[in-house]
Amino acid sequence: MARRLAADPAAAEDLVQETFCRAWRSFHQFQSGTNMRAWLFRIMFNAFYAQGRQISAGPTLVSLDAPGRDMEPQSRSGMSLAEVAEISNALEELSQEHRTVLLLAIVEGFTCREMAGILSLPIGTVMSRLSRGRQALRERLAPEPAKVWHARAAAGRAGRET
Amino acid sequence: MNCTDISELAPLYIAAELDSQRAAEFDAHLKTCPTCMAELETQARLDDRFREALLSEEVDVSRVNRRIRELIAAESLPGTAPPIPSKPNRWMTAAMGIAATFLLLAAGYLLIPGRVARVYADAATDHRMEVVEQQPRHWMTDPAAIAALGGKLGISDTVPLELASGYRLERAKICRLDGRFYLHLVYSDGSQEFSLFLRPRDGQQLSGSIRGFANGRFLRASSAGNEHMASFETSHLAALVATDQPAGAALHLAKVVSAAM
Repeated sequence: MARRLAADPAAAEDLVQETFCRAWRSFHQFQSGTNMRAWLFRIMFNAFYAQGRQISAGPTLVSLDAPGRDMEPQSRSGMSLAEVAEISNALEELSQEHRTVLLLAIVEGFTCREMAGILSLPIGTVMSRLSRGRQALRERLAPEPAKVWHARAAAGRAGRET
Repeated sequence: MNCTDISELAPLYIAAELDSQRAAEFDAHLKTCPTCMAELETQARLDDRFREALLSEEVDVSRVNRRIRELIAAESLPGTAPPIPSKPNRWMTAAMGIAATFLLLAAGYLLIPGRVARVYADAATDHRMEVVEQQPRHWMTDPAAIAALGGKLGISDTVPLELASGYRLERAKICRLDGRFYLHLVYSDGSQEFSLFLRPRDGQQLSGSIRGFANGRFLRASSAGNEHMASFETSHLAALVATDQPAGAALHLAKVVSAAM
C-alpha cells in the first residue's frame, strides 16, 4: 500500500518508517484484541496526510517498449506484462479517492467498516467510493462495460438527495 | 430487495459484511435476477484481475525492516525518550520489548499487500499438519460414522462420498477453525488429497472476497503459504476447501465440491 501511496520506493520506506515510529510511540494506546493491521494503516494515512503529501499516481508507470527490471511480473499468477501494465495504468488514471479504497478493499482485503475507520469516513461514503471506483476501473479496462448498476445507484442516490 | 438495493449493497456483500438476513435476501434476489448476477460476476472477475496484477509486484522489505529495528533500538536506549509516558521499570521494559516484537512482526503489513482471514489461516494450518505432513490424528473412515459425526455438528445434508475428477472421501474428524467447529473431510484421487471443512450455515458468513462463481454460488478465496483455500455457502452449509496444489486448484476443487452439494 505504501508503495502505491508514495511517490517512489524510497518515499514509501520513509512513510513506513514514520508509521512505525508513530506506532511505537503510541503503542500503549493500541487496544489488545483489536485489529493491529487496521490500526497501523490508520496511522500510516494520518502520517501521510500530516506530511502534506499528495497521493502518487503510483510507482509503476509501465512502458511496454522497454520494460524495466522492476516491472517484470514476478508473477505467482502468470499474468502477462501487458495485462499488468494495462491494469496498473488504469489505476493510475483514477482519482486519489477511488484508488485508495480500491487498494484497501481489493488488494489489502479490508472490509468497508475497517476502511471507514482507517480513512475516518462514514461507511456510506466508503461504499459509494468503492462502487464508483470499481465502475471507473471497469470503464478503463472493459471495452463495453455494463452500466446498469451504476445508473441505478446514481438514480437511487439522486432520489434520496432530493 | 430490488436491483438498486443490490447495487448499493454489493460492496458489503462482496466483503461478506452483510448480516445473515440481508445476505439471504441478497442471495434470493440474485437467484431471480440474471442481470444482477451477471453484474456481480463481472465485478468479481475484475477484482480478481486487479488483485493479481498488483500482487505480481515483488517488494523487498528487508531494508525498511532493518531501519525500523534500528529506530526502535535507538529509542529504547537509556536517556532517550521512552515510548510510554511514565516511569520506566522492568515491567515497562518487558512491555516495550513486546511492543517492538509486535511492530516488527507487523512490519510487512504496509509494504506487502494481502492478508489472510483467521478461518483460512486455520484451515491452511490444519491441512498442512494433518493432511500434508500426516501428523497422527484420530480419523473416522466409516461413512456412517462420518455422517453421525456431521450430525453432531448439525450437518444434516448428506456428505458426498464421491466427487467428479475421481475424488473419494477418505476420512473425517471434527476440528476448530477460528474458534468454531467444522467437520474436516479429506478427499483423495489416489495421488492428491485435499481438505473440505463444513459447518452449518448461520449468520456468520465466511470471509474473503469473491473470486469465482459456480452452481449459482459465489466462491471466495485466499492463500496462506503453500496452502490455497476457496469457500462457498449452500442454503444449509458453509464449505471451505484447502489444498496444497497450485492456487487455481482451490477454486477448481470448490467448484467440484459445489457441484456435488
